[in-house]
Amino acid sequence: MADARLRRVNKEIADCKNDKSSQIRIELIDESPFHLKGSFPGPEDTPYEGGHFEVDIVIPPTYPFQPVKMKFITKVYHPNVSSASGAICLDILKDAWSPVLTLKSTLISLQSLLCSPEPNDPQDAEVAKHFTTSKGSFDETARYWTQIYAGGPGKSSAKAEPVRDEVAMAGLEKAHVDQYESLGFERSKVIDVLRRLNYRGANVANIHDDRIVEELLK
Amino acid sequence: MSSDYEYSDEDADYYDDDEDMIDGTQEDGQSCRLTHRSTGSASDEEMDMDAFNEDFKVITKATRKSYEIPYESLTQASIEKVMQADIEHISGIFGVDASVASLLLRHMNWNKERLIEKYMDGASAVSEAAGITLPEPPPSPVAPIRSSTSSSSSRLSSGIRRATRRNAAEPTAAATFPSTVKSKRAPALDPEPFVCPICFDDSQTKTLGLECGHQFCTDCWSAYVESKVRDESELSIQCMAEGCSLVAPDVFIETAIAGDKSTWARFHELDIRHFVASNPNLKYCPAPSCTFTVSCPAAASKSSLATVVPTVACEAHHKFCFGCPIDGDHRPVICGIAKMWLKKCHDDSETANWIKSNTKECSKCQSTIEKNGGCNHMTCKKCKYEFCWVCMGPWSEHGTAWYSCNRYDEKDGIDARDAQSKSRSSLERYLHYYNRWANHEQSAKLSMELYSKTEKKMEEMQITSDLTWIEVQFMKKAVDEVDKCRMTLKWTYAMAYYLEKGNEKELYEDNQRDLERAVEDLSELLEQPIEADSIALLRQKVTDKAVYVQKRNEIVLEDTANGFVDGRWRWNVSVDGYHAA
Repeated sequence: MADARLRRVNKEIADCKNDKSSQIRIELIDESPFHLKGSFPGPEDTPYEGGHFEVDIVIPPTYPFQPVKMKFITKVYHPNVSSASGAICLDILKDAWSPVLTLKSTLISLQSLLCSPEPNDPQDAEVAKHFTTSKGSFDETARYWTQIYAGGPGKSSAKAEPVRDEVAMAGLEKAHVDQYESLGFERSKVIDVLRRLNYRGANVANIHDDRIVEELLK
Repeated sequence: MSSDYEYSDEDADYYDDDEDMIDGTQEDGQSCRLTHRSTGSASDEEMDMDAFNEDFKVITKATRKSYEIPYESLTQASIEKVMQADIEHISGIFGVDASVASLLLRHMNWNKERLIEKYMDGASAVSEAAGITLPEPPPSPVAPIRSSTSSSSSRLSSGIRRATRRNAAEPTAAATFPSTVKSKRAPALDPEPFVCPICFDDSQTKTLGLECGHQFCTDCWSAYVESKVRDESELSIQCMAEGCSLVAPDVFIETAIAGDKSTWARFHELDIRHFVASNPNLKYCPAPSCTFTVSCPAAASKSSLATVVPTVACEAHHKFCFGCPIDGDHRPVICGIAKMWLKKCHDDSETANWIKSNTKECSKCQSTIEKNGGCNHMTCKKCKYEFCWVCMGPWSEHGTAWYSCNRYDEKDGIDARDAQSKSRSSLERYLHYYNRWANHEQSAKLSMELYSKTEKKMEEMQITSDLTWIEVQFMKKAVDEVDKCRMTLKWTYAMAYYLEKGNEKELYEDNQRDLERAVEDLSELLEQPIEADSIALLRQKVTDKAVYVQKRNEIVLEDTANGFVDGRWRWNVSVDGYHAA
């Protein structure tokens, strides 16, 4: 059985190499063919366009009868991807797995997951909240993350690392952050609280200033 | 050691047969129980009724005691027979293969009535949901995995498609595996080698597939089925193709794992467990690696658990409760109360009681205050309310009596103190019952020790006197009895904690006290040193006492069980599913 797994993985890696059209790449991380790194470009017409996304792939001993384990190495701002750990919420990586699925087809599924987020089945609740309350602001933040982490377009032409704008990273308005910072709170704390409360778009009107100050004082 | 109840009998044969002895003392036991009931203040009429009932029960005693429940222990083979009968029944009604019938039954959790109803409503919908037929496309009504011949010899092939019969709807598949065609197919198609889409091996010649036509090599199938059955304990094994909902029938699975006996046995066990779990009348024995099933229809419904304690035992003598997952025998207490009691004991809800007992609440703002020194003039830190720690009344009413409180009658103070003493006594009450409960549990745990001690004593007896092995068995019997009664006693304390004060509880506690006293007497007898000249006397005493203890135990169990049936018990809490009559 071990032979079959090795044969299959090797074949999958080879297939991926030969197929130039899909832009999906699979590379070895170390000597083992069971720990791989997959990568694909961000899909067009999405905030992820132009980015290059890397995925950590671990092939379990029972592969292909049990699903592969995948998580994003590149940080992604997406409702179904944990913004902290890169863990992915996708049915085919769990109970909808079928042995006929391959590494390539799974990576393609990930790519299409970036096109069509499922905010109702979120991995990252905060990001999902952001997505549902104000799509425009979410897109902006996702684009910013793509630019910072996935080498997306819009990056300053100078090679120097651009100063990361923590406010934009959290998908917040600079004016809001400045407002509470001027009250004497630490900037990072303000960002943390406002992000947690989803202080964005139409939601701003729903959250009272006192509530924010209360959270900040905790 | 003497007790109020001594049985002496001149007949020497009396002691040689314990069974006889029990019957012989039955009347005595009965009468003393009735005397106890009469000490309570039940009305005469009730008394007569009870007496009548008791007489009636004595007559029917040969059949079953009121605290016992009818049940039956079934072997795995007899369960299989029931399953087989269900399958044949369904396959007869629907005119389908046995393997199809079993897939349908599994899909509907073995609920025959609902299956028949649904099948009559729309056979195709049920077949699709059960993974027997493909949902789309509908043109050719594919018979659920069926071979053209229906003889038993063709059963093997019924679920397996060796690419000889393919679904016309799968033209792409047709080109892939002509090599597997077992010569029946004309070699018109290109003999391109079959490449399994899972292991990418082109040297495989044997393939398998379900009705859907998705073919995979046998090695992959076997690895897949094994991983599903062993790692996921999955009974319903779907086709490996993505999104294909067909479920593999048993014959297919048997072929796929090709002689892997342990996986097949596991699959079979899963099937039986699923059947047992689906049937409320059945329960698998929870003892490790025990394969017996107990059937107990009397305790199948939740409502019945309010009146009976379904203690059952499988053929291998593993005692368990049919109604709840509590280990062993929790008679005479019903499941709901036993569960509540255990939860109370495990919770640290008693921490709250401690706080209540050791602290007081500010009568104005209700903050919890612990006094750790100083005078009785308290000022609440939070609301600045000034009060007296002793009487809890406002300090302003105390005038100049600074260090002594003589205002005990003030209403404010009384109210505050009332709440205080109530919570303190509730803790004491709980501890009273808990200590006794825990004590019996501890004693029961030590019974193993008592066993080995008793065994030694029995050997000693055989040496020091001319008693034979069989004649010293009374010691062991007595230990068994003590053990059993301690279990009963243990749970009676859990029940007493929740019983509402009143005549019924008094009667109950009388019975409990009699049993407890008898059990303690008997265990003391068992601990006594053995002297050669007094063995005969000891033997007589132990035997007498054991019989009496057994009788008392039966009385407690029976009276409690009857109380549940009559709805006689009143609780100081609301008990799930229990409605007092």
